[in-house]
Amino acid sequence: MNGEKGHNLQIEKVLSYSYPHLSRHAVHKRPISKKTAFYIHEYGPHSHIVHVIMKESMRVLLLASVISSLGGLALENIRSSFLAVGALVVLLPMMNNMIGNYGVIISSRFSTLLHEGRVGADFWKSAEVRMMLLQVMVIAAITSLLAAVFAVAFTGPFDIALFAKIALVSIAGVGIIVLLLFFVAIIAGLHFYKKKEDPNNFLIPITTSIADFGNMLLLSALVVLFF
Amino acid sequence: MNFFDHNFREIFFSQVVSIAGGLIAGLALAFYTDRLLLIPGLFVILPGFLEMRGNISGSFASRLSSGLFLKVIDAGRINTRLIRSNLVASFALAIIVSMVLGVLALAFNYFVSGVFLWKIVLLPLLAGIIANAIEIPLALMATFYLFHIGHDPNNIIGPFLTTTGDIVSIFALLIALVVI
Repeated sequence: MNGEKGHNLQIEKVLSYSYPHLSRHAVHKRPISKKTAFYIHEYGPHSHIVHVIMKESMRVLLLASVISSLGGLALENIRSSFLAVGALVVLLPMMNNMIGNYGVIISSRFSTLLHEGRVGADFWKSAEVRMMLLQVMVIAAITSLLAAVFAVAFTGPFDIALFAKIALVSIAGVGIIVLLLFFVAIIAGLHFYKKKEDPNNFLIPITTSIADFGNMLLLSALVVLFF
Repeated sequence: MNFFDHNFREIFFSQVVSIAGGLIAGLALAFYTDRLLLIPGLFVILPGFLEMRGNISGSFASRLSSGLFLKVIDAGRINTRLIRSNLVASFALAIIVSMVLGVLALAFNYFVSGVFLWKIVLLPLLAGIIANAIEIPLALMATFYLFHIGHDPNNIIGPFLTTTGDIVSIFALLIALVVI
């Protein structure tokens, strides 16, 4: 804000000295924001929009698909035992959604904290980071329990023993992956920010892929362990 | 700092909405298990296929939202070069990613089961075309609608696309299975 005001004052000073009749308009002419300039550079009238989008997205999308599919390989190996339990089949998309969303939430919120300068290399000292971790973990525990209740309730008569197993799979799966995502987002976020890159562009694809891969792998391990 | 602040409430409610979408998709999966068992390499295709809605439609909606907020996109005009190009690019990306998923499933079947089932490439491709023909225009309409009624599409479009995307993706996969 101060920078913009200073910039306007500078324009006014220069114009009033050289071109006095233009100085009044100069204060109203605000400099174009960096975000708008970036957007116009990327998608403006002189850019081939389809090419820009495809070029920037293709590699990360393909990488994300391959990583997700690798996670699916683990589940493919225990396919029959997995599909035999209806509650697990119902639980899978719910867990997938939840974990993916937590990846996006953690990434975007941590990126904002970095951009606003409210967190640095000593992230563990930040009350906001600690609060974010605590809030996300508590919500993850509640929602994974809720998902387990739905998965068991909608697939037949409510079996307490089955519910206990499903709840354990859901809470352990979501809890472990969310914790992992949190530290990956922090370490990668600090790394990209240090390199003067926008963490927003990297953290979401990275955390989403890790979320999918980890979810499938951990789910397979937990199914082998409990079923 | 209040633990149950607006962040807590927003995350919690968006996750509950997301669970609802996942529940419908999961019930459809469970209901059609017998049919889905016929898809060799189902779990190789499924995670990447479900992820597409966020990675492609989500990014598409996010680009539109940025454009709307920066006033580079006119909220009253949908038929512009910028939006048409975004639609084309998103759809092209969806087709390419669907094909890659099909090739991965083909490779999995060949190397693990020793079966060369080329039709498996068509399954995610057809399902991807069906799902994204619904999901991408839906993302466009929802982003414009939310912006028009005064909401920030960035806060709502994520859970919305996850919820609708799950349902659309599973049914598109089932339709493709029946067709192929």
